[in-house]
Amino acid sequence: MSDVTLTNISKRFGSVLACDDINLHVDDGQFISMLGPSGCGKSTLLNVIAGLEEMTSGEIKIGERVVNNLGPFERDIAMVFQNYALYPHMTVAENIGFSLRLRKRPAQEVQQRVMDVARMLELNQLLDRLPRELSGGQQQRVAIGRAVIREPSIFLFDEPFSNLDAGLRIRMRGEIKELHQRLGVTSIFVTHDQEEALSISDCIAVMRAGRIEQTDTPEYVYSRPASKYVARFIGSPQMDIFMGEFERQDGKLVYRVGQARFDIPPLTAQPSAPVDIGVRPEHVLIGEIGVAAEVHIVQPIGPFTYVTVKWDGGEATSRVNGISHLKPKEQVHIHLDPTGLHVFDRITEERVELFAR
Amino acid sequence: MSYTFKRRLSRNFIRFCLAGFVCVCLGPVIWALVTSFLPLSALTSTPLDLNPLNATLDNYIKVFDTSRGLFSGLINSFIISLFTSAIALTLGAMAAYALARLKMPGSTLILMVILATQMFPAIVIAIPLFLAMSRINLIDKHIGLIIVYLSFVLPIVIWILKGFFEGIPQELERAAAVDGASPLQVFRFVILPISLPPLFATGVFAFIESWNEFFFAIILTRIHVKTVPIAIAEFSGQYTTLYGQMLASAVLASLPVVVLAIVFRKFILEGFVEGAVKA
Amino acid sequence: MIRAWNNENRFHRRRFRLGVFFMLPAVLILLVVLAYPILASLILSLQDIFIASDGIHGRFLGFDNYTRLLGNELFQQALLRSMYFTLVEVVCVVSLGLLVALLLNTPSGRHAFYRVVLLVPWALAPVANAVLWKWIYNANYGVLNMIVVGLGLSEENVVWLGRPWLALNMILVADIWKAVPFIALLLLAGLQNIPTYLYRAARLDGANTWQTFVHVTLPGLKTPLVISSVLQSIWALKVFDLIYVLTKGSPADSTVLLNYLAWRETFSNLNIGYGAAIADVLFLLMFLLALAYIRALRPRRALLNGNNP
Repeated sequence: MSDVTLTNISKRFGSVLACDDINLHVDDGQFISMLGPSGCGKSTLLNVIAGLEEMTSGEIKIGERVVNNLGPFERDIAMVFQNYALYPHMTVAENIGFSLRLRKRPAQEVQQRVMDVARMLELNQLLDRLPRELSGGQQQRVAIGRAVIREPSIFLFDEPFSNLDAGLRIRMRGEIKELHQRLGVTSIFVTHDQEEALSISDCIAVMRAGRIEQTDTPEYVYSRPASKYVARFIGSPQMDIFMGEFERQDGKLVYRVGQARFDIPPLTAQPSAPVDIGVRPEHVLIGEIGVAAEVHIVQPIGPFTYVTVKWDGGEATSRVNGISHLKPKEQVHIHLDPTGLHVFDRITEERVELFAR
Repeated sequence: MSYTFKRRLSRNFIRFCLAGFVCVCLGPVIWALVTSFLPLSALTSTPLDLNPLNATLDNYIKVFDTSRGLFSGLINSFIISLFTSAIALTLGAMAAYALARLKMPGSTLILMVILATQMFPAIVIAIPLFLAMSRINLIDKHIGLIIVYLSFVLPIVIWILKGFFEGIPQELERAAAVDGASPLQVFRFVILPISLPPLFATGVFAFIESWNEFFFAIILTRIHVKTVPIAIAEFSGQYTTLYGQMLASAVLASLPVVVLAIVFRKFILEGFVEGAVKA
Repeated sequence: MIRAWNNENRFHRRRFRLGVFFMLPAVLILLVVLAYPILASLILSLQDIFIASDGIHGRFLGFDNYTRLLGNELFQQALLRSMYFTLVEVVCVVSLGLLVALLLNTPSGRHAFYRVVLLVPWALAPVANAVLWKWIYNANYGVLNMIVVGLGLSEENVVWLGRPWLALNMILVADIWKAVPFIALLLLAGLQNIPTYLYRAARLDGANTWQTFVHVTLPGLKTPLVISSVLQSIWALKVFDLIYVLTKGSPADSTVLLNYLAWRETFSNLNIGYGAAIADVLFLLMFLLALAYIRALRPRRALLNGNNP
């Protein structure tokens, strides 16, 4: 069994606390992403799981074994690095087969297994090349091959695609997902790209300043963010978060942002503290009814157009299907989709359930 | 003045300066070479007789006779420089790697010490070393000089190589560790193979420094282990009027290291100057 | 909370063990050939050493050797001369080195040939350099006199190494010639580290050559210039081979510098304790300079560390 359990992991560098009391469980065969901006501790945590960094305190279990005292190789993990870290003086074949040669496996076996892996990753034409003769994408595939040949219990990925061009990055995501479907090995994937995490993971752990803010499936991280931070980090363009007040208008409850009063569905609980309300662009609807606003910026991106509107005291971005013919300074009306409201406590920034789902 | 005219003027000025620079830099050396190929009669005639037809190898042939020490000096220098640089390279590479990557406690202290060793006069340690070497009978022995030379060659080697090892991406070593390599195997199969150029350059540098060393040599040798710098110093002191031979001996003494420096120029230029800057 | 202090991860433990094993030989050697002599030298300087039939003996003197040398006129003059020598050499070597580096940084100068030219003086043994200049300075047949007399600057042959102040400066010239290449290479590396976009920005802002030099080049070279100055001053204090071959201190001890004096007292005059004291004074001077070196580098380090999480 190769599930991973992290208990109370902390890692300190001098006076800096890189990982702060992390608790996480990864099921056997699950693909989990650790997502967060630079400096949030995700790479450190990965290195701690790998055994490349010593944790300050805590316990790591792989399967039933407590692996705190084991080195990376004994933990039976394989890792793919951001800068590929291929051995520059060895050919592709030698790079991939290095771990087997260290184990003193017979040459015949090494050659066979290297061939198998190379074929799987479409590297068989490149086996005699040196890393510097390969493109970025090819180098990354060699790095993956080096990890795959180990047949480890756990794959660790440290932002492997950050150095690739956009198009290549998206293609590699597909390949990784396919690889995972084929091999089914427990995988922990570190990235700062929320789109990447959403597209390939079974589960996402959103990190911030050394702590995990939310661990959930992509669907829930997107649709039920547990905090303002997660809500803003996930989803592009960013969710609009309004700092407004509840008001009674004509007997109805509305949420006032600046001079705009938005209709909201009935509350299922009484808010004990001031709250902010967040809305994703696809839930900001431009139409005939609602708050009066003026079109500010129109950004068509092909399948959608993002229209930013302003009113006295606020602004919001709406996602419109197809090409919109709205122009700046036009007057429109916007209202909020009642199923797309996210409520956050203004002080604690945590999610509050105020509306029926 | 038009822009292009100004540019051409400044470019020619620079070329002129470059030419001047080459003359100043190589002038004395070329002059020494020329002198060494001229017979004594040509050198001592006034005005100087620079007729190329007078060129001769006489000086070079005679100098081995006049200075009995030159030939053995070359041999001694070679032995001592070779062993010093080989030992310094081996031990220094190991220590440099330990300091660069293996997080030794007290490494900052050791580094400061190494830096400091470059900055004090050899005379300070020469006196106690001389006394100690006399007591254990290592004066005028090759091994004595080699050990003492290590005192200034080893720190430089460690300093240069440490800077280089720090430049190797850590991920490379981590990948090897994940692949199952022990720290020693990481050093042997990953670090060393990609470090060959700077290792070589540092070795050459160590060789040159040992070869050119004079101070310890005159203190710690008597008759048997005279190195080549001593040989030419003695020559110039003893045979003050044999100008051609004096310069021939200097040329012979310098030729090996200058050739080495030119052959390995790429390594040397990249390697230690950047090491000094990175320090 | 689960504490994991004895968390000695096998990976790190093995690295530590290898580190110790790797460091040991070098450290041992350095302890023997470096640490021990330095300490011994301090002790020697407090003694009066004499060599008797049954070996080497020492008589404890306390600081007598030091008081003696501080009052000794020869020492004082050697000290002054060394300071003069060092100051002039540093100024000349660093300025000339900078000029050469600037020259080699121009498009015409980028060619590898010029760098190789620099290597030649650098690779020469200091003794060979001395022999070389001995010939150039030769009073009767040296090329310097040929040029000077030929150009009419002097009526008769100058005895370059025979007149007190002149001899010292001729040694200075010889050492400067040999020292410039290394510093030039150092400064050249520093020059090449200055990002080109700074130059472009300056040009767009309308700066002329001199202004660019003062506001872009010099600030970017601050650290290499400091390092060069300190290194070169330390090396200037170490001058020995030139004196030994060219003048042996004459005429009238006017070319005796501190390093040479220490050697002469110890190995020629056999005042071993006294010589050690001079050596230790020299050591102190260089140590202070080395501190300056480290201090010059420290702020940069602190800046870097501040940006690392």
